[in-house]
Parts: sequence; structure tokens; C-alpha cells
Amino acid sequence: MPFIVELIISLLIVIGGLFLLVGSFGMLKLRDLLPRLHAPTKASTVGVGGVLIASMLYFWVERGHFTIHELLITLFIFLTAPITANLIAKAYMLLNVDPHSDLPPSKQNEGWATFDPVGPEGYDPSEEYQEKEN
Amino acid sequence: MSLTLIVLLPFIGAVLPAIMIRAGRNACATATGSITLLALILLMAKAPAVISGEVFQVSYSWLPELGLNVTFFLDGLGLLFATLILGIGLLIIIYARFYLSKDDPMGRFYAFLLLFQGAMVGIVLSDNILLLLVFWELTSLSSFLLIGYWKHLPEGRQGARMALAVTGAGGLAMIAGMLILGDIVGSYDLTVILQNADLIQASPMYVPALVLILLGCFTKSAQFPFHFWLPHAMAAPTPVSAYLHSATMVKAGIFLMARMWPVLSGTPEWFYIVATAGLVTMVLGAWIAIFKHDLKGLLAYSTVSHLGLITMLLGFGTPIAAVAGVFHIINHATFKAALFMTAGIIDHETGTRDIRRLGGLLNLMPIAGTIGIISAASMAGIIPLNGFLSKEMMLEEAWHTMWLDQGWVVPLLATVGAIFSVAYSFRFIFHVWMGKPRDENLPHHPHDPPFGMWGPPALLTVLVVLIGLFPAVIAGPLVAATSSAVIGGELPEYHLALWHGLTPALGMSVIAIVVGALLLMRHGALISATANLSRPDAKAMFDCAIAKLVALSRVISDNLHNGSLQRYLSVMIVASVAIGVSGFYAEPDHTAGTRELLDVSPAAAIGWVLLVVTSIAAVVMHHNRLLSLLLVGVIGLIVSLGFIYLSAPDLALTQISVEVVTVILMLLALNILPKETPKESLPGRKLRDGVVSIAAGLGIGGAIWAIMTRDLPNSISAYHLANSKIEGGGTNVVNVILVDFRGFDTFGEIIVLGIAALSIFALIETVTQGEAAKRLANWVVSNRRSADRHPMMMVVATRVMLPLSLMVGVYIFLRGHNEPGGGFIAGLVVSVALVMQYMASGFGWTQNRMKVNYHGMIGLGVIAAAITGASAWVAGLPFLTSGFVHVHLPIVGEFELASAMGFDLGVFLTVVGAVMLALAKLSQVERMAEHIDVNLDPMDHDPSVRIATPEKEA
Repeated sequence: MPFIVELIISLLIVIGGLFLLVGSFGMLKLRDLLPRLHAPTKASTVGVGGVLIASMLYFWVERGHFTIHELLITLFIFLTAPITANLIAKAYMLLNVDPHSDLPPSKQNEGWATFDPVGPEGYDPSEEYQEKEN
Repeated sequence: MSLTLIVLLPFIGAVLPAIMIRAGRNACATATGSITLLALILLMAKAPAVISGEVFQVSYSWLPELGLNVTFFLDGLGLLFATLILGIGLLIIIYARFYLSKDDPMGRFYAFLLLFQGAMVGIVLSDNILLLLVFWELTSLSSFLLIGYWKHLPEGRQGARMALAVTGAGGLAMIAGMLILGDIVGSYDLTVILQNADLIQASPMYVPALVLILLGCFTKSAQFPFHFWLPHAMAAPTPVSAYLHSATMVKAGIFLMARMWPVLSGTPEWFYIVATAGLVTMVLGAWIAIFKHDLKGLLAYSTVSHLGLITMLLGFGTPIAAVAGVFHIINHATFKAALFMTAGIIDHETGTRDIRRLGGLLNLMPIAGTIGIISAASMAGIIPLNGFLSKEMMLEEAWHTMWLDQGWVVPLLATVGAIFSVAYSFRFIFHVWMGKPRDENLPHHPHDPPFGMWGPPALLTVLVVLIGLFPAVIAGPLVAATSSAVIGGELPEYHLALWHGLTPALGMSVIAIVVGALLLMRHGALISATANLSRPDAKAMFDCAIAKLVALSRVISDNLHNGSLQRYLSVMIVASVAIGVSGFYAEPDHTAGTRELLDVSPAAAIGWVLLVVTSIAAVVMHHNRLLSLLLVGVIGLIVSLGFIYLSAPDLALTQISVEVVTVILMLLALNILPKETPKESLPGRKLRDGVVSIAAGLGIGGAIWAIMTRDLPNSISAYHLANSKIEGGGTNVVNVILVDFRGFDTFGEIIVLGIAALSIFALIETVTQGEAAKRLANWVVSNRRSADRHPMMMVVATRVMLPLSLMVGVYIFLRGHNEPGGGFIAGLVVSVALVMQYMASGFGWTQNRMKVNYHGMIGLGVIAAAITGASAWVAGLPFLTSGFVHVHLPIVGEFELASAMGFDLGVFLTVVGAVMLALAKLSQVERMAEHIDVNLDPMDHDPSVRIATPEKEA
């Protein structure tokens, strides 16, 4: 294996490992849930991504066959991680946030999604949908 | 071959009426009739040879290891009964076409009738007693359907249930008796059993076998004290009554007694049980029949009485009595079927069956009247009809029979029975047909029915007369062939004739007719004299007994099965620990395994620590239901890591997907449970549970240690590893084991899975009604609910991921035979892909867009697996033998196509169907508890709509 490739792979693994460590440390360090949500994002993006790209490179150069497993794994993680975070944040808000005192107005036709099913002027999106389908 | 066809035709043909009813009632009846006619023609083709003494046999092996083979044989006795069943069956089919009203589902009626007919023919032609038992139970089941045909009538349902309970219970006793019999002889073949009379009668097990078999016969043939079900079965439509109670169902018991006559009869036990039961039944049935005002009730009890008569003749144990019994079987079938049909005509034309409202019908319905009067006269035993002949023979035999060394008992009681018989027969004649109409306001104006209704009984009545006049010519050969089959040896000296000279039997007959007629003249006085007698109500007693039994079983099951899962689990674990410990101490010395131990890798150590920590955490925090579910999920994931570490990727994949699916389903269920489990365990119980679980854990750990440190030389794994590619055509041994080596197990498992899913459906379906539904309706949602139940991000992402996940599922499925994967895992992956859609946009919304019938999917899966398995038969190989071919496709390259893939597809469909069905029902309950309707939009806040709105306002 050429040294330069070896270096790149090593760098990717080290960077990935570092971000994974930072992410895990953040989980310990940050006490409140909303700040805490930021920690695993480091691990799931650069951390896992670095390791996966390193793996892809290694098998390509060393073993001579190109695999897309790693890309698929990245894709799945990139798709699912934000949604998980989104849902956790929503649950937290439902339990701990009062929409009237803690939140600013949404300045939209409807309120904040987690708390307000229908827009302020009694607008119901389902009617719109039915019109669309018809 | 044609013998098998005779039995199978009604079964195969039972599909026809259900289909043909779409073409109309005539087509339906014609199709049904032609099936029976075809079977009858096949039978008649063999009749001359059978009458001349030939016996046809045919045999296929079914389960030879159990002694259960499909063997049929046709001798005189079988011929007689098969002719009655098919012949009268044909007449009944014609009759029923005109009897059933337009509102009755005729296709179903004929389908049931043919099923019943097939079962009856099966009984009388079976050579194997185990096969006979199968058909015997089939008659109980199909007669249940027939008797309860008018399912809107409570009497019909109750009568059917009673008949099923009584005859079914008798059938169970008979199974035991037959097994004993087979055990004595060493063969379950009737032809062999019939050769071993001495062996059987000398055996100490003779009496138990006899009693058990007779229990079956007596219940089926409505002998005292089991006679009570028959009159209640009269709630059935008249064609059913005519069929079941003249020629078929109740004659099955008689048939079996006749069939077993050569080996079981001739002993004192046989005589006292059978002859006494018959005698009592004959007298009792006839006595009750006199007082029945319902036409069919009268005929029902008269049937009971006549069955008693035949039973008594068989019970005498002498060849000549057996001949008389056989002859009476023929005669009774002809006149009783005609009488039942006549009763049906009366019911149909006048709208009532109450004798007290009828009278003078002969003038209004001359044809039906003539038929009814002639058959009833035969039932009374009036010269020169066929009933007279066999009754004379019965009285003659009774005259010679000693009962407990008393010569007068049997003749006296037989005469009394004959007197009653004459009385109720004359009642049928005089109170129904003669005299003046007693009730002018009958529901209908009576007149003769169409030919289709009077033709069949008329034909039977012609037979009644012809047999009476020329017995030796018409019935002689059949009686001779049948009797020699029953007796199993030389026929005794007898001749069928009207006049035997001035015999004692003739005197008894005359007495019977005279006294019977006198009795009828004083009928009114008789009724008022006996009105205050207490009569045991069989139905009330039966209901009471059933209620007691139900209460008893409830006490037993409530005490054993009290709903405490902890108790079941502890019983199960303690039992397995006990088995393990006893096994451990049964072996005298224990040595450690010889395999070298591996070093603990850091990865394994971390996994182990995680497992221990989460397990302890689960024990500590189990009161919080959500937490304990998550912890169990984590444990599952670590276990699947363990599988990967131990090179079991298939197991790991399965474990992960199962974990995902169960956690999601359990989360749905948790939502409507309290958040915390109550603290119910006292310290003592905690200690007990702790001890039990530690013992079980140590035991399992020790067992695994012992196995993993040893080389197992004769392990089956070696065979599987060696043959997976050669025999199963796949390199993934786990999958080849599942779909090929142990394919039958898997087949059973997917059926169980399907049943489990259907049980979830059934259980939750009841929750949505009644008490539970009320509680759900009053459910108070404790937490604040999100206004955004279907968040946009989740919805969009799952849509994007759906094709990807489905592709993963297909990939795993296709490669399953050679690489880790397979139908089960693929099914779970696809389920997860679908479950995600349901989670994102709600079940109702998604279901409205994906109209898949999950019940059907489960069934389809099982059928696909079964068809794949059965296709091996085409090649003459055993069930589920898999075949494979190498296929070469351009681009894709060469690959193997194994028939196991079809089987795997079945597994796949069943898994998806089962998961989705469970999800569907759980989310239905959820919707009820949360009081929410099905959403109309895929997501609650749709940015595209929001942006669109201001433009519209502008």
C-alpha cells in the first residue's frame, strides 16, 4: 500500500475516533437534554463517516474491490439520525416547554408544529389536501 | 379403484353444489343427485358379484407405522348399507329440492349432505378400524352441520349440539375400544380381526373393549339410556331427519354391531348388554311415541324403538336372529324414510305437525295419504307388508329366548313393544288421515305436493309392498349375502315368507294388533291417565350435566391457570431446573471439557460487561415499563452482537430484526398500560424468585460451558455442513436447514406463527367490543399530546427509505440460500420497512393506501409453502424434498434456482402478514384509547400547503 494512502486512511480513522470520543464525552459533560442532543451528532457525522470512508479506502486499495456498503450505511445514518434527534426534541418540548410563555410567536399562518395543530385563523390543512386530491 | 371412488365421490362432489347453486336450484340439485347416482351406479356394478359371495378389497398405505391404512372392502353387509345410504340419499336429494324453501341456502345443504353421505359410505366400506373411526367422527361432525342447518332456530342449534356431544362422546369411547381390539389381535384390519373371534373373546380385555365399543354404538344408534338426543335432532329439516334417522346416522351403530357380530357376539356379556338395552329401548321408545303429538316426534321415538328391536335381535347372538335383524334393517329403512318424507309433506302442505290439529287428510291429499297409510301399516306390522315379515321373525326369536333362565321375559316384553308399536302406527293412520279435519284454520290449504316430493316416498312404498309380497324374490339374495357377511359362516335355515303356519309368533302378532287398536281407541283416556306421571326431561338433565361439567372444568382451569404470568414462568423454570439437576446427578462422574479455551478479546469483554450491566439494570428498574422494555431491547442487541462475534450472522440478523419489530409492537401496547408496574412482591417472594432465576442461570451457563468445551463427534451439524450444498443446493447451512433438512419443522412453525397472529386478531377484536371497549372509550390521556403526530421530517424520510428498505429485504431474501439471509429475516426487514410508513403517517392513513389483506397474506404464505412442499410429490419424492437447477442469465450471471425458494417465499409472506396483522390490531386499540380519527393527510404540518395559502389569500 502506498504510504500516502496509508496516511490518509490513518488520518481518517484518527479523526473519526476523535469525533466519536468527543461525542461520547459530550453525552457525559452536557447535563440538559437540548444541549445534549448536539453531542451524538459529532459522532454520527464525522465520527462514523471518517471510519467508514477509511474502511472503504482500505478495502479498495488493499483488497482491490470496491464496496458501497459503507456508503449505504452512511446514507442510512444520515437519514435516520436527524429524525431521531427531531423526535427526541419534540418529546422534550412537550414535557418541559410551555408554548405560551416560553416560545416566541411563529409569525406564520400557523403556530409551532409541536403545539398547534391548526393555524391561528382556524385554517385546517386537511381541507386543502382534499381539494388537491379532488 | 372404483371402490375408493365410491367413497371419495361424495367428498369430491361436495364442492359441486356450493358452486352450482349460482346456476340455480335445479342445477344444484341435479349436480348433487348425479354425484350420488354415479356412486350408486359404481356400487351396483359390483352388486351381482358381491351377492354371489365375492369380496372386493382395495388398499393404499397411509400411515403404516400406526397401522392406519386406507383400505376398503365390499362384502354383503357393506353392500346393503352402501345401497341404503346412496339409494335413499338419492331420493332425499330429489325430495329436498322441493322441500327446501327459497330462503334456505340450498348449496350449503347439499354440500353438508354429500359430506355426510361420504362419511357414511366410508364407515360401511372401511376395512381398517382406525379409518372407520375417522369416518365415524366425520359423520358426527357432518350430522352436526345438518341438524343445525336452520341455525336461526335455537332448537336446531341445541339439538345439533346435543347430538354432537352424545355421539362424539360415544365416538371417543369407541376409539379406546377399537384400540384395545386392535391391540388384542395385533392388526387394525377388520378382515383380520373378524378371523380372530376366539382370541378376542378369550382375552381379559374383551369386556372393556366390548363395553367401550358398545358405548359408541349405543350413543350413535340412540339406544337406552342415550336415546334422548334423537328426538331433539328432529329440529332439523325433514329431509335431514328422513336421511339420518331411517337409513344412515343411527344405523351406523347398528352397522358396527353387525360388523363386529362374528367376533363380539355369542358371549353372555354381549347378550345381557346388547339384548337388554335393545329390549328396553324398544318398549320405552314405543311407549313414549304413543304420547307424542308432534308427527316427527312420534316418528323419532318409533325410530328409537325400531333401532332397539334390531339391537335386541343382534344381541340374541344366534345366526337366525341376526338374519331377522338384517331383514328388519332393510324394511325399517324403506318404511321409515317414506314416513318421514310423508311427515315432511304434511308439514309443508298444512303448516303444522301437530297431530291434534290434523285429521281427514286422506281426502285432501290422496296420494300422500296412501303412501303414509301403507308405510305406517308396515310399521305396525300388518300383513302383507314387509314390516310384518321381520316383526314375525323377531317375535319368533323372542319366543325362544331365555333371559336369566326365565322364558317369559323376552316374549312378554317383545309383545308389549309390538302392542305399543301398533298403537302409535295406528295413531299415525287414524288421527292424521282418517276421520274429519279437526282444525279448519290450518296455516295452508292442504293438497298433494308436486311429484318431486311424493315420488321418492312412493317408490319406497312400492318396495314396502313388493318386499312384503315377494320377500324371497326381491330381498332374498341381498338378505342372504348380508347375513352371511354378518354371521361370517354358514347361513342358518330360514325362509322369508308371509305364512309360516299357526306359530306362537303369529299369535303374538294378533294380540299386538288387537290390543294396540284397543289402546288407540282409549287414547284420550290414556293420555289423561298418564298426564300426571313424572317424566324425566332428558334435555334438562343433559343441560344440567353439561353445565356441571363446564363449572367443574372452570374450577380446575381457574385454579391451574389463574392468569399470573409470574406463576407460569416460575413453574416452567423450576421444572426445567429440576430436570437439569436430576439429569446432572443421574450421571455418576463429571469431567471438564477438553477443548482449549480462547482468550477473552477486549470486544467480547466489553460486550459481556454491557450485557451484565443492562441485565442488572433491567432487574433493578423493571417497575418502569418503558425503561425495562428499552433495556430488554438493548440486551437483545448485545446478544445479536454476540451472534456476530460467534460467526452466526443469520442469527444476528434475525435477532436484530425481531428486536426492532417487538420493541415497536410492545411500545404500542405499553401506551395503554400504566407507566409503572405495581409493587406486588413481598421480600419472601423476591427471595424465591431470585433463587429460582440464579439457579436457572447457573444451570444454563453450566450446560453451555459443558457443551462448548467439548467436541461432539456424532453431531448432526457435521452432516448438515457436509450435505448442505450437495443435497440442498445452498451454501448457507442455516437456511438450508430451515427450508430443506428441517423444512417440515419450519412449515409447522409458520403455521403456528399464522395461528398466533390470528389469535392476536381474535383477542383484540373482542377488546373493541363490550366492556373493554367501554373502558377504552372512557380513557383519559394523561400526557400532553403532540399536535404534530406525523412530523414532516419523519414522513419524508420514511418515504425516501421505503424503496431502499424494500430492496434490502429483497436482497436478503434472494441471497438467503447461499449467504446469510432468507425468508424469515427478509420478512422481518420488509415488515420494518412497512411499519415505518405506518409510524410516520399513522396506521389508518397508510392502510387506506395499501389495501392488503393480511389474513389472506398469512394463508397465502402457508399455502405457498405447502404447494412447494407438495410439488415434490409430482416427482415421486417425499413432501418438501427440494430440487435445484443452475440457471445462466445474461448480465446476472450463473445462479442457482432452488425449489426451496418457493418455500422461503411462504415463510416470508407469513411473517409479513403476522407482523402487520398484530400492528393493525394494536393500533386500532390505540386509536380507540386516544379518541382520534384516521388522519386525512400524510403529515400534520405540510410546508407546501402552508406556503400555498398566503398566495391564495392574496
